[in-house]
This record gives sequence, structure tokens and C-alpha cells, in this order.
Amino acid sequence: MRPSRLIPIATLALLMGTVACQKPAPAPTGPSQAELDAAKKAADEEAARKAAAEEAARKAAAEAAAKKAAEEAAAKKAAEEAAAAAFQAAANKALVNIHFDFDKSDIKEGDRALLQGIADFMKAYPQAKVEIQGHCDERGTNEYNLALGNRRAAAALSYLKTLGVDEARFTTISFGKEKPLCTEAKEACWSQNRRDEFHLK
Amino acid sequence: MTRALFRTLFCALAALAGLGLSAQQTEVVLSATSGSKLVLAVAPPKLTGLDEATVARDFTGVLQRDLDETGVFGLLTEKLPTATDPSSYKAWKEAGAQWLLVTRLTKSASGEIQLEASAIDTNAEKAVFTKPYKADRLVPLRRLAHALSDDLVFQLTGVRGVASSRIVFVRQLSPGVKEIFQVDRDGANLLQLTRNGSLSLSPSVASDGRLAYVTYKGGAPAIWGQRTVGGAQVKLYEAAGGGMVSSPAWSPDGKRLAFVQGDRRGNTDIMVLDPASGHVRRLTDGSGINTEPSWNPDGTQMAFTSDREGGPQVFLMQSDGSNLRRLTSEGTYNASPAWSPNGAMIAYVSRFEGKFDLFIYKLGEGKAYQITTGVNTSESPAWSPDERRLVFTSNRFGSMQLFTTDLSGRQVVRLSDLSNCQSPAWTRAR
Repeated sequence: MRPSRLIPIATLALLMGTVACQKPAPAPTGPSQAELDAAKKAADEEAARKAAAEEAARKAAAEAAAKKAAEEAAAKKAAEEAAAAAFQAAANKALVNIHFDFDKSDIKEGDRALLQGIADFMKAYPQAKVEIQGHCDERGTNEYNLALGNRRAAAALSYLKTLGVDEARFTTISFGKEKPLCTEAKEACWSQNRRDEFHLK
Repeated sequence: MTRALFRTLFCALAALAGLGLSAQQTEVVLSATSGSKLVLAVAPPKLTGLDEATVARDFTGVLQRDLDETGVFGLLTEKLPTATDPSSYKAWKEAGAQWLLVTRLTKSASGEIQLEASAIDTNAEKAVFTKPYKADRLVPLRRLAHALSDDLVFQLTGVRGVASSRIVFVRQLSPGVKEIFQVDRDGANLLQLTRNGSLSLSPSVASDGRLAYVTYKGGAPAIWGQRTVGGAQVKLYEAAGGGMVSSPAWSPDGKRLAFVQGDRRGNTDIMVLDPASGHVRRLTDGSGINTEPSWNPDGTQMAFTSDREGGPQVFLMQSDGSNLRRLTSEGTYNASPAWSPNGAMIAYVSRFEGKFDLFIYKLGEGKAYQITTGVNTSESPAWSPDERRLVFTSNRFGSMQLFTTDLSGRQVVRLSDLSNCQSPAWTRAR
């Protein structure tokens, strides 16, 4: 039996015992009304105290749970954002331009490492899809350069395939000489324009 | 067989052969290279209800430029007599004019314009051409000037002039945004035809005026154009998986559209679309770059650019892809073929030291002629509908702008001072 109940019951029992164990008196006198009211009041107060305490405990537990959930969600979001940032950072690092010689679409020796970096990125992030864009300098006709740009994009796609990346993860597009990075009529500019660009889709 | 019969047969065969030879190639009666232009003087118009300055700018100036670019008229502009009555014709002849053009322009109170024009042969001292023109008040004076110039050319040659024609071309509005525009042959009335907010390239105009072009507005390139004259621009063709498409070219009868499709292995091929059925046929063989198809006037052949034998060269084939043979043999990069309206010539560009010049290949002679010889690049030739001039782009004044030239290359005119232009097409259709 709970101690909190024991006292009022004990009190009552004591009172009743006192009443029961008394010599038969000419007129039996039980606990007075005031004594009964007091006992009841004490019992009610005790019950209210108990309820309040239980309520407080319930509230505290709920708050603790909510706080825990929020912390977990925040942690998850932070982790996702960190992962996205890491993904973006990896993409920015890996998806750099490669360049081509005049009128050519061969992958240059020096660009093989760059393409390896792209392949490594694609393998590290299986969800990544990339568009390969082929571009040319101004020294060809608009239409022939659209075809040459297509060939330059295809060359990168083919090379990445040999490095073990699924070609279905790439689209190719040619912009020919329609989207130059610079417009000066000299090799320093032309060489920049003869390029493939790699863009996350 | 008697010798007489044999001789008759031989003569008949020779005559037939002679006929066959001249039927292959249309004679341009008054080619610019021959220098035999008819000298014409334009007398200042007599005016009623119009002020001189407006007429000088919007009619006379326009007319003179029109006539100057016809290739068949030489304009006399100095030491002109002032009178234009019949007694003055001798003076005009002595001044050097073979034809005197006399005009009267009248504007009525309601704003309607009347033009009376007469071309007088100063030697015969009589009119060889007289025509009244009427225009309501909304028609600009320059339209009357163009109509008169075209009629005068018809009078002289039997073929209408192209003063009333227009050029359709691409212009860059900002990096990554190129739209299709049209402009009158003399640079007036610029009108924007597409609003795609993306790259819109390579316009082709059918003989009835329907436009086709390539746009990247959907991300991947697709061919858009008009199915009906004056109709809305709709998507005509898109390659599966958003593959590369470029270089649309309407057939002369407007029923087929040649174009180029590229694959993910880097090859591009000439294709032909039947827009009505959506059926597509591949003409070239799937290896290397094949691009820039240009139909001959009866739609039975195409010229195109291919690198199948090394660098880009101009090739010909039947319009079913058969009988493929090489046209150009000089130089390492020949491209952008444009078959002339009468079928006897193919204009193209040849690259030397990184820059292009215009050439014309005369099919009958089997010989190519260089038209431009500049320090700067000249690209993208397209024929005037009367075969007397080419429109092209050049950066000789800075950015790429539109120019026209006669076929000798001696009369080059800047069409407009608009910058960043490319891929012009020349059409009569309005």
C-alpha cells in the first residue's frame, strides 16, 4: 500500500480503532464531522498533489522527447546539407573543362587525368548525372562547328565509358561556336573556346 | 546508208547536243561581270501634297539604292538636265542616260498616294514603260519605290527584281540568346520572328514563306517551324533522347525538310523529314560529319559539306542519297554550299589561315571563282531570288554584320549596321 494513502487510512483506522476499542459508553461517539472533513481534505489535497506531479512528469517527458526528435531532425538536416555540400564541392572540383586542338576532337594526353577525376566522382556519387557540352572556336562555319562540338562531346563520353562509367548517366549536347567564353580573335581566346564542359543535371 | 542521210543525221545530232548544252545552264543576260548595265537617270519626282525632304528620303533615295543594286541598271547622278519634257530627251541622252525615269507623286487629302512613273528611252525618244501605282495612306513610300524598281527590272530582263524582298537571319541579343529576325533587303523594317529566349539558329524559309529553324529553348535542340503559311511556330522534329539536330533546309516545293542529326558517337548525317507524315529518312552513311544540305532548284539533288575525305569539302548527291561525288578540290576546308536559284552555280566558303572567303562554283565550266578577298572573314552565303547577288556575313567593320555583293565581288553593300548577325536567308515571300 502506498505511503501516501497509508497516513489518512491509518488515521481513519486509528480513529475507528479508538472508537471501537473504547468501553461501551452510554452513547458511542465516532469521529466528529470536523475530523472527517479534515481527513477528506487532506486526502483530496494529496490526490491533487499526486495528479499535478504526474502531469508535470508527463509534460517533462514529452518535452524531452520533442527536444530529442528536433535534435535528431536538425542533425539529419545538417548531415544532408553537409552531404549535399560535399557532393557539390566534389562536383565543382571534378567537373572541369577539357580542351581540344584546332579542328580536332581527340582527347589530349594532359586531360586524361581530368577525365579520371570525373569518372572517380561519378563512381563516388552513383546518383550523379552529367551533361557533356561540346564547344568550338569561331574559325569554322556555324553548322560544321555544331557537328564538331557534337564530336567533341562524344569523344569525352567514349573515354569516360572506357573508364568504367555507365554512359546512360551522361547526355551530350553541342553548342558549336554559339556560346563562346571570349570573343577576341587570337589563340589565347580560341583555345579556351575549344572545350567540353561538364554540368550536373 | 547514203552520205546525205548520214550528214543529215550528224547535223541533227549536233543540233540536239547543242540544245542539250545550253539547256543545262541558264544564261544570265546582263551579268554584273559583263559590265553591260543600262544607264538610267532618275529625275526628281514632281510632287503634290508631299514635302521634298520626306520624298527624297523615303522614295527617291530608296529607289536609287534599289536600282543601283539591281545589277542591270547603272545610275547617272551627275550633270543632270533639269527639264523632263520631250524636248529635253536629247539633252538627257547627251548627258549619258539611256533611260530617263520621270515620276509624279500625289498625296490626296485622304492620305492616299498616287505614283505615275514613265521610263523614257532617250534614243527612241519615247516611253518604254508607263505605270500608275496607288497606295492607301498606311503604305509607306518606300514600298512604292521597291515596286517600281522591280517592275523596271522586269521590263528590261523579263524577270522581276528583288527590291521588295526580305532577309531572314539570326541576331544575338545577349550571350546565350539568339533570335530569328527579318529585315527588308535595304535594311529597313526590322521585325523579330521568334521570342524563345534561348539559342534560335539556322533559319530556312520555304518559297511560300514558311519558316523553319533550330532552337534550344527546350534544353536540347529541336526543329521548329510553320506548317501553314502565316501559321504558328510549332515543333516539327525532335531527335530521340534530345540528340543533336541542326541545319534545316526546305525543299524547293516546300514539302520536305532536309536537316542534320548527330549521334552520341560523334557522327552527323543528312536526313529528310516529311512534315505531313512525320516520316524521316537518313541519306548519308553514318560515319563522319555530314552537314549543311542545300537543295538544287528542282529538288532532285543536294549539295552538302562532309569530312569523309579529310577536312570539310563540298559534295553532291541525289536527293535519295545516291550518286555521291565530291565538288571542291582546292583548299583544305570548303563548306556552306548554297545552290543557286537557277541551278547553274553553287556558292560556298573556303577557309584560308583561319578566315573564310566566298567562292562561286560554276557547274557548267567546272571552275570556281573567288568573290571576296579580304583580311576579315566572309561566311554564310545565300542567293538573292533573282540569282544576281549573295547575302553573307562579314566582320570587316567589327562584329559580324549582313552584307550583299554582286557576283563579281566588286559591288559590296552593307545591308544594315546591326551587329552580331549570322545565317541569313533571302526570300521574296512576305
